[in-house]
Amino acid sequence: MPRYFDDVEMGEELGPLETTATDASVREFCEVWGTGSANRFTDHEAARKEGLTGAIVPGIMSMALLSQLLTQWADGGSVKKLDVVFRQLVPHNIPLRIVGVVTDKNQVAGENLVECDVYLETGQGDRMVGGKATLSLPRKE
Amino acid sequence: MFIDMHCHSVSSDDSRATVEQYLKWVQVLRKRGHRVDGIVLTEHRKFDAGHDYSSLASQYGVVVLKGSELDTRYGHFLVYGVTDRLLRAVNFADVAMDAVELVRYARECGAIAVPAHPGRFGIGFIEYIDGGPDFSGVEIVEYLNGGSRRGENERGQELADQRKLLGIGGSDAHFVSAIATCMTEFPRAIHSEGELVEGLYAGQFRPVRLEETNHQSPG
Repeated sequence: MPRYFDDVEMGEELGPLETTATDASVREFCEVWGTGSANRFTDHEAARKEGLTGAIVPGIMSMALLSQLLTQWADGGSVKKLDVVFRQLVPHNIPLRIVGVVTDKNQVAGENLVECDVYLETGQGDRMVGGKATLSLPRKE
Repeated sequence: MFIDMHCHSVSSDDSRATVEQYLKWVQVLRKRGHRVDGIVLTEHRKFDAGHDYSSLASQYGVVVLKGSELDTRYGHFLVYGVTDRLLRAVNFADVAMDAVELVRYARECGAIAVPAHPGRFGIGFIEYIDGGPDFSGVEIVEYLNGGSRRGENERGQELADQRKLLGIGGSDAHFVSAIATCMTEFPRAIHSEGELVEGLYAGQFRPVRLEETNHQSPG
């Protein structure tokens, strides 16, 4: 069912989307991305050699998870922009929560734009990645 | 009066929120029954002397004050009541400045410097206080910080309790929806940076979470 601009209110929450970036899912992502060989994203030993405590989730995969929340929520609309700040490294194999909230809505040049904050958190709520997204949503006829 | 003592606008390189977006979000919080009276913009490694937010402040009914968050070799420090004299005495962009000197200069110039998120693992003030220089000039720490990870605020509060330091609260917001999650309650009205410094030196304030300001909560 489409998400209409008319029905959206400031403060409305998105998600949570709950997932885990497992060793296997990160490896699969990296193979599609074209960086499948052993590196800090796919191999714990390679990550430790770089001074990390273990393999980490690629930033672009964190962005993909944030985008998944946005596209699921904005059914019938589109993501115009996603601007992300990486605050902490995201490790493999821990429960992740992806959440968001509508912070503004505006009509600009005929487009119905919704601003959202989105966060990738640990299961305990510590925020590792934050972002600001702009979505375009349809209006009711 | 409830003031968010620590937030960053797009003037800081890692923030994605404009001042107006923060003030609009404060209206959402007020509709939910929370009380937010003011914010202090504490941009990283600079003081935005040229920015005037008075018309926005008036439009949205929120006091908007300016300070700074500076990097030092002993962690981040919030500076309130920044004056021209302090700007001449201290290079705000120096990420390895001596915090002891900063605290002293700030006091001499009518300002005040306060360790931000002192309990932060690896980089907080708590990591340097033992065996470091004489920090007896520090009387206040920001032990309630909205950007802290689990356990960090507790470490900061423990430090404050042990050393009999006073505590303030700030959201450390970099995104719109994080504004005012932590604040400081002052008994008197504050409408200028000078009054804020007076309020801090008076020592009558306490850190609060947003939830504590909700007058619509039952009981």
